Amino acid sequence: MSATQPTPRGSHCGRTLVIATHTFTQLARMKVFYFLAIFAVIIIASNFLDWQQLQGPEAAGANALASIKSSSFGTMHLFSVVLSIVATALLLPKDVEDRTLYTILAKPVPRLDYLAGKLLGVLLLVFVSLALMDVLMTVVLQIRTSMIMEQQTELAQAAGYTPDAIASLRAETMANGPNASLQGAVLAVFLRSSIIASLALLISTFSTSTLFTTVISSLVYFIGHFQADARDFYLRIGQAGQGGFSRAVSLLVSLVLPDFQLFNVIDAVIEGQAMPMLILGKLALIAIYYALFFTLASWFIFSDKEF
Amino acid sequence: MPEAAPAVEIRDLVKDFKTSFRRQRLRAVDGVSIRILAGEVYGLIGPNGSGKSTTMKALLGLVVPTAGSCAIFGKDSLKVDSRDDVGFLPENPYFYKHLSGAETLRFYGKLCGLGGCQLRDRVDELLALVDLEGARDRRLGGYSKGMLQRIGLAQALIQEPRLVILDEPTAGVDPVGSRQIRDLILRLRERGITVFLCSHLLEQVQEVCDRVGIIFQGRMIREGRLDDLIAIEDQTEIVLRDASPELIARITSLVAGVPGTDLVRTGKPRTTLERLFLREIREEER
Repeated sequence: MSATQPTPRGSHCGRTLVIATHTFTQLARMKVFYFLAIFAVIIIASNFLDWQQLQGPEAAGANALASIKSSSFGTMHLFSVVLSIVATALLLPKDVEDRTLYTILAKPVPRLDYLAGKLLGVLLLVFVSLALMDVLMTVVLQIRTSMIMEQQTELAQAAGYTPDAIASLRAETMANGPNASLQGAVLAVFLRSSIIASLALLISTFSTSTLFTTVISSLVYFIGHFQADARDFYLRIGQAGQGGFSRAVSLLVSLVLPDFQLFNVIDAVIEGQAMPMLILGKLALIAIYYALFFTLASWFIFSDKEF
Repeated sequence: MPEAAPAVEIRDLVKDFKTSFRRQRLRAVDGVSIRILAGEVYGLIGPNGSGKSTTMKALLGLVVPTAGSCAIFGKDSLKVDSRDDVGFLPENPYFYKHLSGAETLRFYGKLCGLGGCQLRDRVDELLALVDLEGARDRRLGGYSKGMLQRIGLAQALIQEPRLVILDEPTAGVDPVGSRQIRDLILRLRERGITVFLCSHLLEQVQEVCDRVGIIFQGRMIREGRLDDLIAIEDQTEIVLRDASPELIARITSLVAGVPGTDLVRTGKPRTTLERLFLREIREEER
């Protein structure tokens, strides 16, 4: 053993990154990426839906591509939500149960670094998974778009379409293929995951079991889809009575409980609409706000927790 | 020159836990004070549930004292920087099973701010110290209990701490593994590292500790230097090798002729079952 000498403590960022990369490795070694194989099967299977037998050349392109996008985003949605909740809910209780948390907190590791590292690790895994799924979806869409455009041209020519009409049809199909809006929508899926994961982190700091965290996080996610409607309804009642108080309560609810309806823009992108940068920027700010809010609330609870 | 701060300073520590039933308070530690100087090996002994682990957790800031204070080298235990100079091995540690021995040490080293060649050398050095070089790339899921305890001890030493806290370091380990861990503790003492360990294996504590404290139902009932505590003041031991029966008879008659002195017993000293076990194992290995 070498002589005792002062050891550098490292920075907050350094420690957080160490815990994040370790959490990523831990989850990856749980064979989470096997899910990508299922994703690939779903995407390939969605190619076999033969829309052109059912409708004319206009609908054939849009529907076939929408089918691929819809199944891809459906799987991305499911994967990101399940992973964000379950992985986050699993990590903290497991460390406490296995007493690995003792050995980590017995090192010069502030509890905020530990929490932030765990959250970042889960988000890193979700990000990498979504990025891989995005690449796969984009490649399949690109190939399928080219094939569809050729088929459409043949069908349109057989049906006696003018060259202008055929060009317009091709442009419409191109708009349903891979584009920047689609990448924006994948980013929106990730932003939604970051809110859900940080919410699950908060619940796991006071929860007594993984099951409790999973159930409550799923419930809050579900409620988040009706939050905006409930607030509108409440405000309408408030206008008849104490308007100021109702608005204050409504504001408080929206500060604490995320409105997941805002992410419905993803559905519009699947249908071929563009994703404005302004909307994406707004979603990013909302996600950062809730992720920070929930992480700081987690720290507030976790800092006084005894083991 | 000001006196150097003790490695451990626990003053009038009280820790109450709320039980879920009727929210009644349970006093786990009741007014415990411990002072361990740098370089000492201190053993805290007591039966299960006597407050040993809670005392250690309070020292590491894992639980907040209800009253009293804990400090490590003069730094308040509730502050993160007090952990700069501490290594901790919990009772029955289960590290991340997906990591290998070397990866485990690298992970804990990075948490302490180590990196590059310094970390690589330290990992190699510690794997050699705990005799796990052959299992460095094996995942911890395949480690035996004794190997887990040794890798646990290595992670506790990763940042070269001046104080090592060991909670039941040989719990569930076979005699060979237990001996290896004891030898490691003795090597730490030789290097001037302070060791604070708790155990209910009294013979083990007796072999390695300079001072001991006996804790029972949350209270410190006896504390002091081991030699002082276990010596029987009114008796003297003489151990002879190859003594003839005639010599024994002469000594016995000599003692009988001195008023006020009694011969308590004569006979052959016995080895311990553990020493016998280890000797037989070693002979079999040869």
